[in-house]
Amino acid sequence: MKPFRLSESNLNAFLARISAGRTIFTHEAVGDQFRLVKTDHWDPSRHTLGTFRPVQPLKSLVFRPRELLGALFGEPGLPALELRIVLGVKNCDLSALQIHDFVLRKNTPPDPYYAQLREQTILVSCDCTDCREVCFCPAVGEQPYPKAGYDINLSPQTSGFIVDAGSERGEALLQTAQEFLQPATEPDLQVRQQNRDAIYRRVADQAASVGLTPGLDLQGAVVKSEGQPLWKAFAEDCVECGACNFVCCTCHCFLLRDGQTGGRMPERVKQWDSCLHKNFARVAGGANPRQRRTERLYNRFDKKFNFFPQVLGHYACDGCGRCTEACTGQIDIRRVLKEAVG
Amino acid sequence: MKPNLYLPLAATLEKVVEETHNIKTFTFRPAEPLPFAAGQFVELTVPGLGEAPFTPSSSPAEAERLEITIMRVGRVTERLHALQPGAGVGIRGPLGQPYPLEKFRGREILIVGGGVGLAPLRALLFALFEDTSQYKKICVRYGARTPEDLVYREALRGCWGRGDTLDVKLTVDKCDAGWRGHQGVVTTILEKNELPLAPAGGVAVVCGPPIMMKFTTLKLLELGFAPENIYLSMEKNMSCGEGKCGHCRLGPYHACKDGPVFTYAQIRDLPKIWD
Repeated sequence: MKPFRLSESNLNAFLARISAGRTIFTHEAVGDQFRLVKTDHWDPSRHTLGTFRPVQPLKSLVFRPRELLGALFGEPGLPALELRIVLGVKNCDLSALQIHDFVLRKNTPPDPYYAQLREQTILVSCDCTDCREVCFCPAVGEQPYPKAGYDINLSPQTSGFIVDAGSERGEALLQTAQEFLQPATEPDLQVRQQNRDAIYRRVADQAASVGLTPGLDLQGAVVKSEGQPLWKAFAEDCVECGACNFVCCTCHCFLLRDGQTGGRMPERVKQWDSCLHKNFARVAGGANPRQRRTERLYNRFDKKFNFFPQVLGHYACDGCGRCTEACTGQIDIRRVLKEAVG
Repeated sequence: MKPNLYLPLAATLEKVVEETHNIKTFTFRPAEPLPFAAGQFVELTVPGLGEAPFTPSSSPAEAERLEITIMRVGRVTERLHALQPGAGVGIRGPLGQPYPLEKFRGREILIVGGGVGLAPLRALLFALFEDTSQYKKICVRYGARTPEDLVYREALRGCWGRGDTLDVKLTVDKCDAGWRGHQGVVTTILEKNELPLAPAGGVAVVCGPPIMMKFTTLKLLELGFAPENIYLSMEKNMSCGEGKCGHCRLGPYHACKDGPVFTYAQIRDLPKIWD
């Protein structure tokens, strides 16, 4: 399906059409940030597609922070789930789903909760037109606009958008909104490319200003730096709060926790876990392969920049910079990587 | 496997055998047969408390009942040890990769256990006993801290000490005058003159505490076993059992999905494998 042009004046009607019958997740501006919100209708006076990624990672919508798996010996089926659509997804979050898809879906048997949430959720992405000061996606081989993984993508132009479908279901949805769309012209696509190049250069320059130029061998740098003083130095500022894991768009670790509430059947919960917590890798009897915080901090980077390139050919970091903003100890992932590179 | 990979099958505790002061063998009857292969593990749930991974110690030929030998070391095992026959638990599995018996055929096999580490090896022995003619030799070398810490004592004395194929030797680290067997750590019964097999083409299977596995591996290499023929059970914090939750990562592997048994050749270059 060829790209289309959508005029600014048709945006609200277009979004209402493609969202019909679905619970909407989109953005609200809060201070100088955006936050993910849930709504039953697109309200242009409150909602926005956002110009850069929101505070919360997209993963939280398809890999929930806390998933009640139900009574231990109850029915194994999944509860019914409404159809959903996310409006304004940014590339870092979208690309991160490659990690979750690999771990939770392609690695069989699939996680039925994740598979259901992915299946029921349409992803409408949007090119970044601005960035946070902490963004550095070009340094990890990404760019501030999507190349794949979306159902529909919107590229803002001076007036209106270039719209294209990235999946069969995206194409089907666009079919329902044809009255708002005109075929995009070659000059439209040239303008889109110019806009994309401009925002790429801006984020790449900002990353380069802290020493992270595109194409650095971050895998080699992290592997080579194991045991070096930098890890101990950064670990001294880590308070093991796990905020970096929870805001990270790629972190996928979880724990299965059992409980029993007042007179009810024993039940099991799947909830996010943090590899920086001391007992993450501890075994019964007390042995712990990562007893020291330094080892746990290194392990986080080893997983992101060494394990995933080995098994998937992709860093488990998309340069969203959320961990830097969330870190209680003010550990800046860009500085860590820069020091590892040397 | 149930459709929901995170939820267990109900099972009933049928029998408890006290092996030592802190080790018991439990017989569980799952609500449905649970076929497994030697080396695979299960997650055992104490309802309302949590689950922990164990490798069954019973014969893989028997799917109706599973025996699991458990040392009391933590929160879940403490509660398991307090259970009486009739109690309800949950079992999830089988998980992980089995011992590659097809690679063991026609070869001499050395099985080395330390303490409660003999439990998974017992399931392997039962699998090997299904047709001992397939294997040239089966040697078992088992060490425990004291004579009172040896598990499966009756079996070791009786049915295991049979035939020409099987050769069993025990040792204890510490003992009093009443012990007439060998004394010393398990590597002391792995000397060349103690082993009626040729290490070069042989297979060694090891399970025990990390320190025992480390020194046993070094001894096996010294004896001439090839790194790809040394099979080690790696103890990691295995939770989901399907390589998703991230707890048991070991270099490029997940112990739960790619293991828990690895050859020394697979893991020797990974940092801190014995921690």
